[in-house]
Amino acid sequence: MDYCQCVDRTSDEDVSGVFSEGHPDALQLVYERFGSLVYSIALRSLRTRSDAEDVTQQVFVSAWRSRDSFDPKRGTLAGWLVTITRNKVADAMRERQRQSRVLLQVAGGATVPASYAPSDQVVDRIVLADELAQLPESQRLVMVLAFYSDLTHEQIAKVLGLPLGTVKSHIRRSLQRLRSRLEADSVAY
Amino acid sequence: MSHTDPVILALRALGETAGTAQDDDHAQTCPHCRHEQARLTEVVDLARHAGPDEHLEQPPPVVWDRIAAAVGNATVSPTTVRPRETVASSNGHQGRAQDSGQEADVGEHRRAGARGRRGRLVTALAGLAAGLIIGVGGTAGVVQLTKAPATRVVAQIELSSLPAFPQWRGATGTAVMRATASQQVMVVTLHAPQRPGFYEVWLLARNGVSMISLGDLNADHTGTFTVPPGVDLRNYSRIDVSLQPFNGSTLHAKTSVVRGSLPAVAFGSSSGSASPS
Repeated sequence: MDYCQCVDRTSDEDVSGVFSEGHPDALQLVYERFGSLVYSIALRSLRTRSDAEDVTQQVFVSAWRSRDSFDPKRGTLAGWLVTITRNKVADAMRERQRQSRVLLQVAGGATVPASYAPSDQVVDRIVLADELAQLPESQRLVMVLAFYSDLTHEQIAKVLGLPLGTVKSHIRRSLQRLRSRLEADSVAY
Repeated sequence: MSHTDPVILALRALGETAGTAQDDDHAQTCPHCRHEQARLTEVVDLARHAGPDEHLEQPPPVVWDRIAAAVGNATVSPTTVRPRETVASSNGHQGRAQDSGQEADVGEHRRAGARGRRGRLVTALAGLAAGLIIGVGGTAGVVQLTKAPATRVVAQIELSSLPAFPQWRGATGTAVMRATASQQVMVVTLHAPQRPGFYEVWLLARNGVSMISLGDLNADHTGTFTVPPGVDLRNYSRIDVSLQPFNGSTLHAKTSVVRGSLPAVAFGSSSGSASPS
């Protein structure tokens, strides 16, 4: 069953290491791990699938070509990709704005200044959902119930049949992990 | 004294009552613990604002084809890319075929993707905890305890702002309905900016005209209300929070901040199938 945590997942650190070494298959690994993250931020910001697909393509092509500038000591690979995604989304928004300005000018209308970036909240929500999905299954279940079910940690322990100490430790460690990921990805690289 | 136990900080961030009066005193004066508490609370707020349906979508396979072509990566076969969530991926693929080049219905795809994830969640829970069933209908999450506690959570409803009231865009809330043998209690939490006036919670009937006032939210935008006995929640199935001016009127001020619907499953045949055995 897929909730069994037997599947050996490649850790984000491993993916990052392979990428920074320029391994030939690295881009595919990175895409498998972070393609949905980049695509989801783009889709939620731009609202059209074709634009989100274009941005996703641009992000990974650009990341591959500038892989020498990625330094794992300065930040996480996810954070670096999120920064590139923000920039590409901003470019796409600027291009859209430019086109609509031309249309408005043709129609004799006024132009409205727009912000050229995905909102921080969109990025944070997607990053959080991504990290939540990376948690080992039992930790993820505990956090889903803690966030959304209105059960106390004691009730969660009871319904999941877990020792109280395990639930407490899952909650503490998962919250810390989610927080660290958010901080790593929201800081401009 | 030493810093507050990180477990206590985490539980407090989730809104639970944890720790001692000594922890309270410490939390007031220690910048480190206050900062930690705030960091964790931000995560919880973000997660709850996003709601349980927030999820990632897989790009359609054609995106990888284009990337591999652009970087000239001939060693990579696109067929070896296996998206982690097959359901979301197949939806994305369909979407591409149907809406190619057009404005896609993002909402529809989100719902479709979410169904897949919910399915997995239900399976996982069924395996891990026979005592708990999670089913989700529309925007509402339903948690039912099939063991027999004194109160059971009947439904958890996400409240969101309405397109007709753009001034409340981004406002959200939750309503958690608990039932005991004799009454139904609703706990409502609102996430909205403070504006002049006060927030009032209503049940709206299906006809869109009849309504019942449950009461006012507290200053912290939460409130606990008892549903008047005899109210048919299959008819009064919508929860509405209004902003009321201080003008003495007891009528709905016609400014809906957020709204949500009770899932039919929570009450349709609840007295039969969902009651504890």
